[in-house]
Amino acid sequence: MGDILGLIGKRLGLGVFILFVISIIIFFMVELLPGDIAQAVLGQGATEENLAALRKQMGLDQPALVRYGEWLAGAVTLDFGSSIVTGERVTTVIGERFMNTLFLAAYAAVIAVPVAIILGVIVALLRNSIFDRVANVVTLSFISSPEFFLGYILILFFAVKWQMFPAISSLSEGMSLGELLIRTFLPALTLVLVVMAHMMRMTRAAIINLLASPYIEMAKLKGAPPWKVIVKHALPNAWAPIINVVALNLAYLITGVVLVEVVFVYPGIGQALVDAVSKRDFPIVQACCLIFAATFILLNLAADVGAILTNPRLRHPK
Amino acid sequence: MTNKDNQILIDRLADAARDGKISRRSFMNYSMAAGMTASAATGLWGTSAKAAPSRGGTFRLGSHDGNTGDTHDPGTYVTFSMIQVAHTFRAYLTLIEPDGSLGPDVAQEWSASPDAKEWTFVINPKATFHSGKKVTADDVIASINHHRGEDTTSAAAALVSDVEELVKVDDMTVTFKLAAGNADLPWLMTDYHLAICPANDDGTIDWQSGDGCGPYKLVETEFGVNYRFVRHDDWHLEGAYFDECVVTVLNDPNARQTALVTGDVDAVTQIELKTLSLLQRDPNIEIDNVPSAAAITMPMFCDTAPFDNVDVRNALKHSMNRQEIMDKITFGTSTIGNDFHHSPAMPYWPEGLEQNDYDPDKAKSLLKKAGAEGLSTEISVADSVFSGAVDMCVLFSEQAKASGIDISVKREPNDGYYSDVWLKKPWCVVQWGARPTPDVMYSLAYKSDAAWNESRWQNERFNELLLKAKAELDNDLRAEMYREMAILAKDDGGTIIPFFPNFVYARRSNVKHGPELAASWQMDGARAASRWWFEG
Amino acid sequence: MSVFVIGYYTLLLAVSCLAAFYNKRQIFMVAFGLTLVSFILGIVGGTAALQAVAICAGLLGLAAMVSFAFREFLIQISSAEMGKELRTAPMTAAFGMFVIFVYIIMGIFAPWIAPHGEAEVIASAFAPADENMLLGADQLGRDMFSRIIYGARNSVGLALAATIAAFVLGALAGLLAATKGGWFDQFMGRVADVIMSIPSLIFALLMLSIFGPHIHVIIIAVAVIYAPRVFRLTRAVAGNVVVMDYIEAAQLRGEGTWYLIRREILPNSTAPLVAEFGLEFCFVFLLVAGLSFLGLGIQPPTADWGSMVRENATLISFGDITPLIPAAAIALLTVGVNFVVDWMLHRSSGLKE
Repeated sequence: MGDILGLIGKRLGLGVFILFVISIIIFFMVELLPGDIAQAVLGQGATEENLAALRKQMGLDQPALVRYGEWLAGAVTLDFGSSIVTGERVTTVIGERFMNTLFLAAYAAVIAVPVAIILGVIVALLRNSIFDRVANVVTLSFISSPEFFLGYILILFFAVKWQMFPAISSLSEGMSLGELLIRTFLPALTLVLVVMAHMMRMTRAAIINLLASPYIEMAKLKGAPPWKVIVKHALPNAWAPIINVVALNLAYLITGVVLVEVVFVYPGIGQALVDAVSKRDFPIVQACCLIFAATFILLNLAADVGAILTNPRLRHPK
Repeated sequence: MTNKDNQILIDRLADAARDGKISRRSFMNYSMAAGMTASAATGLWGTSAKAAPSRGGTFRLGSHDGNTGDTHDPGTYVTFSMIQVAHTFRAYLTLIEPDGSLGPDVAQEWSASPDAKEWTFVINPKATFHSGKKVTADDVIASINHHRGEDTTSAAAALVSDVEELVKVDDMTVTFKLAAGNADLPWLMTDYHLAICPANDDGTIDWQSGDGCGPYKLVETEFGVNYRFVRHDDWHLEGAYFDECVVTVLNDPNARQTALVTGDVDAVTQIELKTLSLLQRDPNIEIDNVPSAAAITMPMFCDTAPFDNVDVRNALKHSMNRQEIMDKITFGTSTIGNDFHHSPAMPYWPEGLEQNDYDPDKAKSLLKKAGAEGLSTEISVADSVFSGAVDMCVLFSEQAKASGIDISVKREPNDGYYSDVWLKKPWCVVQWGARPTPDVMYSLAYKSDAAWNESRWQNERFNELLLKAKAELDNDLRAEMYREMAILAKDDGGTIIPFFPNFVYARRSNVKHGPELAASWQMDGARAASRWWFEG
Repeated sequence: MSVFVIGYYTLLLAVSCLAAFYNKRQIFMVAFGLTLVSFILGIVGGTAALQAVAICAGLLGLAAMVSFAFREFLIQISSAEMGKELRTAPMTAAFGMFVIFVYIIMGIFAPWIAPHGEAEVIASAFAPADENMLLGADQLGRDMFSRIIYGARNSVGLALAATIAAFVLGALAGLLAATKGGWFDQFMGRVADVIMSIPSLIFALLMLSIFGPHIHVIIIAVAVIYAPRVFRLTRAVAGNVVVMDYIEAAQLRGEGTWYLIRREILPNSTAPLVAEFGLEFCFVFLLVAGLSFLGLGIQPPTADWGSMVRENATLISFGDITPLIPAAAIALLTVGVNFVVDWMLHRSSGLKE
């Protein structure tokens, strides 16, 4: 196990380096964006003079490198600065929203991951049967329509026609967990439908890919029942690609939900990020992107560690 | 028509007036057509339109256009949700009444010197901030000064740049001294930036705390998400019938619609026009369709080929089938434009000018005259200008083919459209918010040296008239000048104005409002919270 | 009891009996199961429910017949060897190939097939379908059917180009990284991490805002966004293959990197890659639709399925099916592509059942 711990340490170090690279990329991309932050804040109605005044007030009259340096100096001490536009601390702006996003992602993941993997195993077992086809067609149809459209359809049936769940998921303080789960059910369901197909199909593909291997043939010849062949023999060796896809989709649940947030009016971090980009509010964009990136790096690390743990051959590179 | 028919018609009109279905103007027109005298009609209007509002309830409003980066600084108000919020908890010197006239708010009366260079406002003694402090001249001066001076960061700086000095006459009286006469100054004071906020001791204002002197007190704020208010019992005007009010930001059109249909909110702004007819079928929902002073413009640079030729500009004006655009893009919820930026919802609107209509033959002959047959040009547009903006240009481009003009539609990114395309590309599409008077509009975007002269149009006579009309206190003379300016803009100007969009918003049918709705902003001039009420 | 209901049950029972007589177990189970289900459906939903079932079954049958005929057609026109392979294709794969074939024809010959022009305004907004316009008109009064056909050319072309670019980039880098290992592997892995860590919609928004919304920028942006996903998958799959003994043997034989990739690693890791291709293809559709949500997609009046869904999406709240038509066009293609992919997957896995 020692080598795995070493690997985790090494990867975490690398992760910090990646975050640094990303912060540079994001900073200069925001710099390169056409348009101007003062203009974005004051809107169509601003004159040259008050644009200049606002730029000065925001500290934009300093060269880009100096501003990046200042930000970095703060970030090293875990101080991510204040929003240029509102002057509020970045942590207060996005702290609660990030928790909301995490909650929704966790809600969706708890449903989607087990269901997708179990379904994937079942369709691999019943491959080419009617059930396989139907599951295939249904999940593929779900990911074929843009997710905001999927959300609209769910709202039409669950909120407008049957009135089972609220159409908008606005949160208020002091909600009980049960109420919270009901209010956020529709956005969570949308996300489940969006990510399930990918995971299910990858599970199926990874298992089928192994079915012609000699050791599977051997197991079959031994007379093991088909479900046992798949669950006991094929699945353990298929974990690497499955875990990879699961990690990808978990990351998507956190980083890719902007449109779902907009459709269900859910106060998550995606909306804050898009708003910040349109206002060129660099500290917020930077903080959001770094949070996303850190999530991603950790999930990837987990996926790699998982892959190594499930394939002993990878543990001892030759 | 027999007398009996007339009586039925009058009864129906009275019913319609009670339910707030028709405006005072059309009520008067129809009643007089039905044989009533003007005074009788006025009397009937008075009795029928006064369905007594009841107090109570929590008004939940879903608003479009909110951003996490919004603030309470009145100088940087830019999103509609903040304008809505500002009119709910702050107050202004003057306000626009539902019938379009100018009315008192914090200032109970005002008067001008004969040259319109000095305006004196008297503050309503009943006006108080939510903290309990009286509104005084110091607060008014500090609030206006927030938008003046070299280092101001306010977007309203241009509006008050003519103000040279603010004089405190006594605790409740303020005099504005202007560099040049401006008959419209009291109208300018309705601008959403110029909110009255409590003054600090150093002459700045305290906008951070969210204190105001409007109809409701702000109790909870989460920018870009929601705002909660309770009634301010010492408010200085009539109204504020709801006990509480919640403004929720619903940026997605579908979210607004379904929230209204399922009853999660009581009213929503900005209905998507595509689904308007479908939404109308719902018996629980009432749609308000209000002609406004907002405008869609297509400015062409008058100093850039091919638009430097007035015949080319006019050929393009005659290549547009406005009626089809209004039917298909706005689904009939708009007022036709005639290429001068003066909507019928603004004062001094000149009636009976000849319409620039769709006439491909005329356009062809104009192009021939200009030596520009088979003109090929490009128009820049973005989805964010207004819903359907790109479609409108595509449709226009199809219509212009009949005149032998090839217009290619360039879709620009939404993000940064007004900084990178507007005033930079020779031909683009712009949405203008409602301005209270033609002078404000023309001075902003049509005066030859205006910073936003979006069509770079230079017309000596127009500029001369503009200055003369600005300081003219006689309304008839002013109207005459605005008429001549409209003709100049229509026949020589560089801006195509396809239509003036209506404000289309909706409410649950248990929400009631007066017979007329202000044309300055959506939601009854953004004052729905203080003007509307729940049925009985 | 209408004639329809009597005919309906008679047909089902006849099929069940025939199937039982000829020992076709699967057909019998389906037909008789349907009969039993129909009893309940008929009681609950009335004749309308049965009619819906009949229509669905009819469509399914039609699809099966078309697929069968199309497979025979393909077998006839292809070489003997190809024909033998094709014979093993299940009906679903034949259906998928048929869909792809139709879309290709639609895309290539769009101007000749479409009854009206791509941007031509011929009716009032949302005019209902008539003999002139098969699917009615869109929000500007343009023929929906014609725009769907043109959309095949634009949307599929763009998505295909972007997906292929992403695969070439990603798979190549992944295979190289797996074979070479060491610092190259580490470096590529970090580059992929960096790109993937930035949320794709934001990354695309930034790239397109900076470089302008041109078609080639869209293709490059999408390829750059998706290549790391392909890279990671290839790396993971090939990583499992690289540690196999036969690779070591080949290395000991002194084979070069390129030979290893081409002859040993690639053939043994195609299956998950092919499966991924089918899915990435439809993700690209959605990303392009999401981009047009931000005003950065394909320039109007060019028809594009993603934008067509977006433009009319709110209508669905009132049960209007206009936005479902382009969505169905995307779904049909996705399903078709993935049916073919499934078959190839099955073949490459070497399963003989």
